Amino acid sequence: MAERRKYKKRFCKYCEAKVDFMDYKDVGALRFSLSERYKIMPRRLTGNCKRHQDMISTVIKRARAAALVPYTVTRKAVVTAPFENLR
Amino acid sequence: MRNYENLVIVKPTLTAEEIQASVKAIEDIITSNGGEIAVTDAMGMRKLAYPIDKNERGYFHVIYYTVAPSAITEIERRFRINEDLLRFVTIKYDTNREVIAFNKLVQKAQKKSETPAKEEVKTEAPAAQAEAPVAEAAAEEAVAPAAE
Repeated sequence: MAERRKYKKRFCKYCEAKVDFMDYKDVGALRFSLSERYKIMPRRLTGNCKRHQDMISTVIKRARAAALVPYTVTRKAVVTAPFENLR
Repeated sequence: MRNYENLVIVKPTLTAEEIQASVKAIEDIITSNGGEIAVTDAMGMRKLAYPIDKNERGYFHVIYYTVAPSAITEIERRFRINEDLLRFVTIKYDTNREVIAFNKLVQKAQKKSETPAKEEVKTEAPAAQAEAPVAEAAAEEAVAPAAE
């Protein structure tokens, strides 16, 4: 296992796609950096670089303010498929 | 002059004409404060990720424009007074990279508005279905206070 970990390379998905700017209205693209409960995923799990993590966090916060992405998902206020109308 | 983008969410309880009227009023606020609207993009009625003032849906409208930075406070003040708006989000496009992105977004929105014929044919059937329940809901809500 130790050997395998040695070869596993973390890479930033956004660097590979050469993303320069993210649009907060494009919610489907934010999905990658959100957890099941719509928390922002940490860098150590997604492998994002610092630059793109900073970008995605501001973009997600904008999308939350615009009611495109929920702030929280609790047991009381369950959002049933909030991405359903995204096509 | 600086590039800005405003996303406004209009109340879903209004009728289609009232929504169009309030969207026009919003655009008038921007133009009367010296703004030049580049393009507008109607995202249409859609479900909110969380209820705002007990509303589950909202009419999304995006406006791309250029205006002097000092006018933004006045525009936002006018938006806050407007009771038809559930929410507005103002985004500034300042750095070179952001300006390039802004121009791309404007072009994308222009293309979308230029070729409505194709989209209409595709989305006509589901759109008609989607609008019907909205209209009913609006009618019900309009009736409810009167009944009380």
